[in-house]
Amino acid sequence: MSKKESGAQWLLLTAVFVIATCGLIYELVAGTLASYLLGDSITQFSTIIGVYLFSMGIGSFLSKYFNTNLLAWFIRIELLVGMVGGFSSALLFIVFPMAASFRIILYAIVLITGVLVGLEIPLLMRILENKVAFKELVSRVFTFDYIGALLASLIFPLLLVPHLGLIRTSLFFGIMNVGVGWYLAYRFSKDIRQGALLKVTAILLLAAQVVCFVFSEKIMSFSEALTYDDNVVYSTSTPYQRIVITKNKHELRLFLNGNLQFSTADEYRYHEALVHPAFSSLSKPEQVLVLGGGDGLAVREILKYPTVQQVILVDLDPAMTQLFSRQRMLAKLNDSSLLNPKVRVYNADAFTWLRNNKIRFDAIVVDFPDPSNFSIGKLYSTSFYQLLKHALRPDGIAVIQSTSPFVAPKSFWCVDTTLRAVGLHTVAYHNYVPSFGEWGYIMATPTPPQEWFGHLPSPLKYLNPTTLQQMLTFPEDMKAHQLLDINKLNNQALVKYFEEEWGKYLER
Amino acid sequence: MRRRSFIQCIAGLTVVSSFLPSCQQQRVISGSIIGASAHTGHLLRDKNFAAPVTVTEHSVVVVGGGISGLSAARQLHRQGITDMVILDLEKEMGGNAACGKNQISAYPWGAHYVPIPNNDLTAYIDFMRECGVVTSPTDAPLPTYHDYYICFDPEERLYINGQWQEGLVPHYGVPDAERKQVQAFLHQMQVFREAKGQDGKDAFTIPMDNASKDPAFTALDTITMKEWLHQQGWTTPYLQWYVNYCTRDDYGTNYDEISAWVGIQYFASRKGKGVNVEHQDVLTWPEGNGWLAGHLKKELQPYFHNEALVARIQEEDGKLSIDYFDVKESRLKRIRAQQCILAVPQFVAGRILQDEARIRKVHQHIQYSPWMVANLRVGDLEERTGFPSSWDNVIYNSPSLGYVKATHQQVTQEKAVRNLTYYLPLTGGQPAEERKAAIERTHTEWVKMIVNDLDKVHPNIAEAIEEVNIMIWGHAMSKPVPGMAHGNIRQELAASVNNRLHFAHTDLAGNSLFEEAFYQGLSAAQKVITQLSGKI
Ligand SMILES: Cc1cc2nc3c(=O)[nH]c(=O)nc-3n(C[C@H](O)[C@H](O)[C@H](O)COP(=O)(O)OP(=O)(O)OC[C@H]3O[C@@H](n4cnc5c(N)ncnc54)[C@H](O)[C@@H]3O)c2cc1C
Repeated sequence: MSKKESGAQWLLLTAVFVIATCGLIYELVAGTLASYLLGDSITQFSTIIGVYLFSMGIGSFLSKYFNTNLLAWFIRIELLVGMVGGFSSALLFIVFPMAASFRIILYAIVLITGVLVGLEIPLLMRILENKVAFKELVSRVFTFDYIGALLASLIFPLLLVPHLGLIRTSLFFGIMNVGVGWYLAYRFSKDIRQGALLKVTAILLLAAQVVCFVFSEKIMSFSEALTYDDNVVYSTSTPYQRIVITKNKHELRLFLNGNLQFSTADEYRYHEALVHPAFSSLSKPEQVLVLGGGDGLAVREILKYPTVQQVILVDLDPAMTQLFSRQRMLAKLNDSSLLNPKVRVYNADAFTWLRNNKIRFDAIVVDFPDPSNFSIGKLYSTSFYQLLKHALRPDGIAVIQSTSPFVAPKSFWCVDTTLRAVGLHTVAYHNYVPSFGEWGYIMATPTPPQEWFGHLPSPLKYLNPTTLQQMLTFPEDMKAHQLLDINKLNNQALVKYFEEEWGKYLER
Repeated sequence: MRRRSFIQCIAGLTVVSSFLPSCQQQRVISGSIIGASAHTGHLLRDKNFAAPVTVTEHSVVVVGGGISGLSAARQLHRQGITDMVILDLEKEMGGNAACGKNQISAYPWGAHYVPIPNNDLTAYIDFMRECGVVTSPTDAPLPTYHDYYICFDPEERLYINGQWQEGLVPHYGVPDAERKQVQAFLHQMQVFREAKGQDGKDAFTIPMDNASKDPAFTALDTITMKEWLHQQGWTTPYLQWYVNYCTRDDYGTNYDEISAWVGIQYFASRKGKGVNVEHQDVLTWPEGNGWLAGHLKKELQPYFHNEALVARIQEEDGKLSIDYFDVKESRLKRIRAQQCILAVPQFVAGRILQDEARIRKVHQHIQYSPWMVANLRVGDLEERTGFPSSWDNVIYNSPSLGYVKATHQQVTQEKAVRNLTYYLPLTGGQPAEERKAAIERTHTEWVKMIVNDLDKVHPNIAEAIEEVNIMIWGHAMSKPVPGMAHGNIRQELAASVNNRLHFAHTDLAGNSLFEEAFYQGLSAAQKVITQLSGKI
């Protein structure tokens, strides 16, 4: 065997090593992503590994149909694996919100990489079959294959995921794959037909992956992974906000602009407390308006009242309402409430919508983010509450989520003061939501009902007649102990209280 | 491809991608220069008009559809005078209160706010009630203002010493001793706000002709604001800057040129009170005072003749012949009228009347400051630390007055894309030179100036700007130099001619404010009504 021949042989064996490493990495990435996004890591990992090994078998089987130009095929496959595997996690993150197709795409990617990797070993063995003794060949190829697998399984959890993150890990290995493909094409360009074409393709692929690698920070910023304790399973920037969903073994959480909106572990406490005190005080709630609350969780509670004929939900961000109606895992959380025929979703600015609204409602649920900036502060102003009052039937009830009376008593009672300033009667109450701490709500009505709280629907996980009563008492540390300003568009008193109180609280 | 060149190529790609944003700086920013029909206006100066081709008769003609002219016409209309015509050279009435609109919001081209009206201005407050700005009935002890029109919080911020601070009075990073001077100054302004003269009248008030003639105060009209500050020993640069900012903001005049009396008027004449407002609050709309102009215009549509450049007014057989150039038809037309209100700037009035004495006087006493106003459509802006984005955003020691966010008064959630109105009074040199330079400057040069200025506070402004439209106000407003407020020149120029021709314009009020224009209009209308009813 000439020196050149032996060099070529070792080169091809290195390729085996790289392929083996990359192949396994793609499977690990797919498994990890699937357990992030779909939960239940045992099932995800075992099905993915199963599908992967099975498709490698398919690949090996198919290898017999390749009879000529083996080296060129080998390189082509190398490039293909690099492309599919390299882009896999970026692609999976992007398609995740399109729900139904997610699993199909996931397994398709696993299948394709499996088949391609499965093709490669037999092809390679056939390329080398006349150059090395068979027993040597088998021994070498499989040694390299298994060493590659070991390396992959070690560096993946220790180095790659913590330092590169999933998107960049798969891109990195995609680049390795394609790089090897390019080098082989370059090295053997005389031995294969269309060598030039292969080289150009390889370079284009490399360029695309490098660009993605550089911008993956933008796709999902590094800091985000650091800000959130759990795995970020979904994140997107809409013109209005940054939506991030994280997941751990026990719960899924939604963050808007970095602020926790709910955790599946205890959101029922929040949403039951938001909806039922007001609704159970109405004799026959029929027309309902929900402002904000694009997650559909409040609507889920509202639909427990059979008298309800129509729920109008107005949320600024179409990305939110679409996510919570179409993404299966999220729609399951709200019992597909946003798809209920009684529910109509409008993506509009609540202030403008209310200004143009002519309908009068029995109940209005106001579930806006906390008044942490001047823009949102407008939605807690006298001007807004005047519109709210106008949109209520004389005996209708509105309920407003009003931040934490423990952390921010001035803010909480400022909302109360502001509602009273426009001539509404109010009832303030609070409960404990572990993810948030003590949380506060205020009911407001033009004419108070003869009796607050009637029948609660069933089944509820948190509320019962006794807890309803308990929510009404405020201990001393949840009172304002001072005269508070009314929140108006031209003083934004609430935002100032809020900043002061939460600022102090978070400093600790 | 060699390995090395391959690596270079990859490296090149990364480098290229990281340079992409900066390449965009070279991009051409769209937009145009609008200029208040300077070209048409100059016909007045340069063109010899032929004889008029048509003659019509009307009882009253109002020349100029700025706030002064509109308010006069509205008053006449309300008094039952319907045989009237309003002529203006622009496509839209409104004058300095012009406004524009794009897909995001309306925005001002000039005047953009009014302070809370002083409570003794009943006619003005009645007008505000009709517009829905005042929501309380006439007999309410104090007016209530509509929350949508009171400037939303956060109102003002100043970029100073590397940070945005709340409010425009410098305090962030200002040493204690200098802060005390600023406090002493503001305290003195409060004293002036409450001061009354020997004659029992307010020392400072709006309209300024209602102010006391007590020499103790009018003496301030003989020195400049800068001289007065120095007399008081208030020399800190922070205060000097602040006062200069204010006089440039309201009067387009530097503090070393403006009459001290008028300079103080800015601070001390505003004392309006309301149930839900204080005297320092302001009323504003996305389109600025164009919103108020819109309300003035409401009943007047039938009287409007736009694109009508009034070229000359003569008296013949006890009537006025008003010749105007119809820009659309490119023909001179004549209206014969019993009464006329000339609601145009005085430098125009002199030419229209072909009155050499007036032209000379105006030339001698009145200087007009040119202004540049730009409306910028911008995307997401990077922010410096400190107080968040406000309605009025001012940069310490900048040649400009900063920008006003036209989208601020929208009740909707704030979007990344906004309209900013950028104000630059051209007070650097002599008005004539500044005017000439302004007219010669290209769109690209203006954009560069604006970007250089705003770059200090929004480092990504060059990439974030999507469109810039520019308005050049060649003769934006007359400068209230010493002697303008309490000398005689205004009375001389404002005197009616033969009880047929009356004047109304903020030039004659001595300072350029909406309220002054409004009362200029009312009093001219009253003169016309007196004349017409006298004849009946
Ligand atoms: C950039 C800028 C910002 C300002 N900001 C404010 C502010 O925030 N608040 C405030 O109160 N004031 C502000 N002002 C002052 C403003 O000038 C007054 O408030 C008021 O609008 C002046 O009205 P006016 O009718 O007296 O004059 P103008 O607005 O000058 O009206 C004169 C009218 O006459 C027309 N005209 C001129 N010549 C002829 C002719 N030959 N034939 C026919 N028509 C003619 C013009 O087209 C114009 O419509 C600002 C002014 C400028 C330029």
